[in-house]
Amino acid sequence: MDERISVIRLRGVLLITMPANPDDSTVTVLQEHALKVMEASSDRGVILDISAVETLDSFFARTVVETAAMVSLMGGETVIVGMRPSVAITASQLGFTLGNVLTALDLDRALDLLADPSRERHRG
Amino acid sequence: MNQRLEAVREYTGGTSELGCPEDLRRLLDSVGGHAILLLDPRGQIAAWNEWACHLHGYEAAEVVGQPFSCLYSPEDIERGKPARDLEAAARDGRLEEEGWRAGKDGLMFWAGVVITALHGENGALRGFGAVWHDLTQHRRAEAAQAQRAAGESVARRAQELLDISTPVVRVWEGIMLAPIIGLLDSQRTQQLLEKLLQAIIDTGSSVALVDITGVPAIDTQTASHLIESIAAVRLIGADVILTGVRPAIAQTLVHLGIDLTGVNTRASLAAGLHAAIESLKPSPRA
Repeated sequence: MDERISVIRLRGVLLITMPANPDDSTVTVLQEHALKVMEASSDRGVILDISAVETLDSFFARTVVETAAMVSLMGGETVIVGMRPSVAITASQLGFTLGNVLTALDLDRALDLLADPSRERHRG
Repeated sequence: MNQRLEAVREYTGGTSELGCPEDLRRLLDSVGGHAILLLDPRGQIAAWNEWACHLHGYEAAEVVGQPFSCLYSPEDIERGKPARDLEAAARDGRLEEEGWRAGKDGLMFWAGVVITALHGENGALRGFGAVWHDLTQHRRAEAAQAQRAAGESVARRAQELLDISTPVVRVWEGIMLAPIIGLLDSQRTQQLLEKLLQAIIDTGSSVALVDITGVPAIDTQTASHLIESIAAVRLIGADVILTGVRPAIAQTLVHLGIDLTGVNTRASLAAGLHAAIESLKPSPRA
């Protein structure tokens, strides 16, 4: 398992923290890991912390969307936390959408979101 | 500097003790960076140190006996400046200024100049001491700095103008307001988004009200920038309510085929604020 991704299980949720410049293999590892853990436990979902990520390329975006779809199929939800303003601006200019992936301003709110299914949701 | 001129003033000829003419000449030649001249009362060059050769390009033999006006710029010579400088030095004892000096090849340099009147024991004018050094590097650096400062000032003004044109205001706890006046081009949108997104993160706001009451008419460029802005705010995890959608705007948006179905919109800022405050209230648990 790649050293640079940090993975923590916390309150029934999988918290994955991405490093600053994830290469393609790192991104693939994140997907495999998320699904493996979803299978092994009945976690409510995955929180992906991208506050260290400086650039978001299309491969990364696509992988995130796909992972969220897979997690959803396994009964969980995916929340993206900590996107940098510069990344958000570039992504919006390029027309990247994260489909049905949820976004949250910080970890606290992400946890609240996953804990309470009736809470109003923001989708990226 | 004054000590050197003192030595020139008091020299007497013909002894071999320290202070004899030879020693004084060596002293003057040892001074680097400064041209030192001795002038007779009419302004003819009587003595000329080594640095003066270096600055002007003339050997001593070429200039001794010549009027020192030959070292001034053609314009200054025409205006009679050399004679006026000597008069001023004789009258006041000393003239200190900055001015152009000319080299043998016609090349000018900007000099820091001191001309001192030299008097004998009986008080009569014996001549002048003239000392100058090259300030050209200094002046060039000053000019470059002034130009840089002017450039920075213009850039700062432009940035201030851009800043004022995209205000972002915390209008309620957890709610940011971005009122847009006029149209949105790429630069303004970039400026607005950088400010708005950072403000949302800094304050931990959950909702941003993007108010377009002040947008006179929606064109496709402004519409697409609005959509971009809404997407960017959602990507960082806050929600957006587009407020101030007047009838004319609503008509244009539909006619342009712009799809805002996923977006929360309200006709007035007040209605948007109300909706935002409601949304922040904790939802009742089942």
